[in-house]
Amino acid sequence: MIKTVNIEKTYVKGSVSTHVLRGITLSIDQGEYVAIMGTSGTGKTTLMNILGCLDKPTSGKLELDGVDVYKLNDDALSALRNKKFGFVFQQFFLLERTTALDNVLLPFIYADRYPADAIELAKKSLASVGLEDRIEYLASELSGGQQQRVAIARALINDPDVILADEPTGNLDSRSTDEILEIFSRLHKEGRTMVVVTHDQAVARYAQRILELKDGQVRESSVANPQK
Amino acid sequence: MGSNTLRVFIMMLGIAVGVASLTMMICVSRGTYEEVMDIVNRQGPDLLQVRPGTDKHTGLPSGSREVVSLIEEDVDAILQHIGNIRAVSPVKDRNEIEVKYGDKFTLTRIFGVIPVWAQIRDFGQDRGEFISDEDVSFAARVCLIGKTVKKNLFEGEDPIGQTVRIKDVPFTVKGELQWKGISAEGRDRDDRIIIPITTYTKRLLRDIHLTQIVITVQDTGKIDETIEDVRALLRERHKIAPGEPDDFAMRTPQDLINMASETSRSLINLFIGIAGVSLLVAGIVITNIMLASVSARKGEIGIRRAFGARKGDILIQFMMECFLISIMGGILGTILGYGGSVTLSILKVAASKITLLALAASILSCTIIALVFGLYPARRAANQSPVDALRV
Repeated sequence: MIKTVNIEKTYVKGSVSTHVLRGITLSIDQGEYVAIMGTSGTGKTTLMNILGCLDKPTSGKLELDGVDVYKLNDDALSALRNKKFGFVFQQFFLLERTTALDNVLLPFIYADRYPADAIELAKKSLASVGLEDRIEYLASELSGGQQQRVAIARALINDPDVILADEPTGNLDSRSTDEILEIFSRLHKEGRTMVVVTHDQAVARYAQRILELKDGQVRESSVANPQK
Repeated sequence: MGSNTLRVFIMMLGIAVGVASLTMMICVSRGTYEEVMDIVNRQGPDLLQVRPGTDKHTGLPSGSREVVSLIEEDVDAILQHIGNIRAVSPVKDRNEIEVKYGDKFTLTRIFGVIPVWAQIRDFGQDRGEFISDEDVSFAARVCLIGKTVKKNLFEGEDPIGQTVRIKDVPFTVKGELQWKGISAEGRDRDDRIIIPITTYTKRLLRDIHLTQIVITVQDTGKIDETIEDVRALLRERHKIAPGEPDDFAMRTPQDLINMASETSRSLINLFIGIAGVSLLVAGIVITNIMLASVSARKGEIGIRRAFGARKGDILIQFMMECFLISIMGGILGTILGYGGSVTLSILKVAASKITLLALAASILSCTIIALVFGLYPARRAANQSPVDALRV
């Protein structure tokens, strides 16, 4: 359902051009759990931003469910993100002075229609990540692991097609890391498409497919575990 | 948490100061206007005063030219030839005249008038009787004393029927003038003695020329016309050629308004300056603080965009926040402004009146400031690249 053709991304600063992505062609089907691996600075965040329609490549094509997204304007792309993607970032990016519940409700603000049962849905989402006792806590009052779980609940609230996670466990201790990755595995079993960007082999191993990003190009890794 | 609260506080404070100045300016202007109109109404919106000389405000002669212009025949001519006149009185007055009672002594202003003067100037007696036509015909030695003169010469005693000596000429006190207070120029209107004009000329001071002609008009709507009619008549009678200046000065209710408002005008100008500058400063503060806020909230902007916020959504969000803070600052400022105006009023620095106009102006200026000065930072927020905002 995600298909890219020859995605290129070049940054130009003054007279220096950096070719971060040099022709990425890949496809990710519904229900897959894909890890995009690479060391720092290889452009894996850039690739994820492009896949999530947060950024545009210098050239190339991106199709979502057959739709050529670069024919859409900025507002239409925003609407698309709201419907199709749920983001999880390394730094969580919760609103600190806001409760867990209100944080989870954020995507509804920008949806076509604010659902009548929004609060119920948000409570359910928080319960699904084990935070039913923390809904009225301010984000700043939660631990790192709990904050990331709120972020996941937020990413799930609008029932998106794809969860895109950029180094989701980068700021967490090992116990929280395990918790988060368990949640991701469960979500995958429930049928969600998961795309995780990481430099960490141990994190990538939870995925079903690993794409290695090197020198601006991807290749399918042989270390993947299709049984997962 | 702390820095955001601080930002909101500073923005509100900036607006509050600007709005407080604006509010005070409006309240003081309004209060002053009403105070002036009050004076005008008390003195009579139908009152004209004609004085010899060309200095409009003081009626003093200009240069060293002898003041010889107004005479009693001018009064008759006005009565005969000018329409829209209700009453006219000639006046002769001089200041610093010695008056004695027993062993008491004072210097006061003596006015020689005719009976209708009391109606024209709304200045009659509250005890005893006023000058009568007979007093004028016979040049009787009778007088009415003002409250200040009564205090200076009689203290607690009843002055009616007593004899005072004005320039050593004995006068019988016929009545006490009502209390009037301070005039628009700051003179004590109660420090005077009224006598018949004929007595003034015959017994005391022998001036032929009048120091004033006071006139009331019938229809205040036509007062400007009447002013010009009187001016034309006097110029003709005094044989003044076209192009030459008047040898008299007319003081109209409008002049009173102008005079009385001059003092407050400098205060109001000061406030206009302060209000304008502080609102401008408030606006600049808003822009700068909001820019800092947008900068500090990059992550928030990024995540909102990631989850579907359009540029327009971000723009509106920041504009609304700015607007709300502005309004809150405006309410605070209005309260401070009202408080300040009342304080000025109590301290007698300036008259002020609490008006709803000030509240309306405050709300309007807050809205405009929020719109004008919040737009640039809001656009910066909207144009923030999500990718840059969400960078590690």
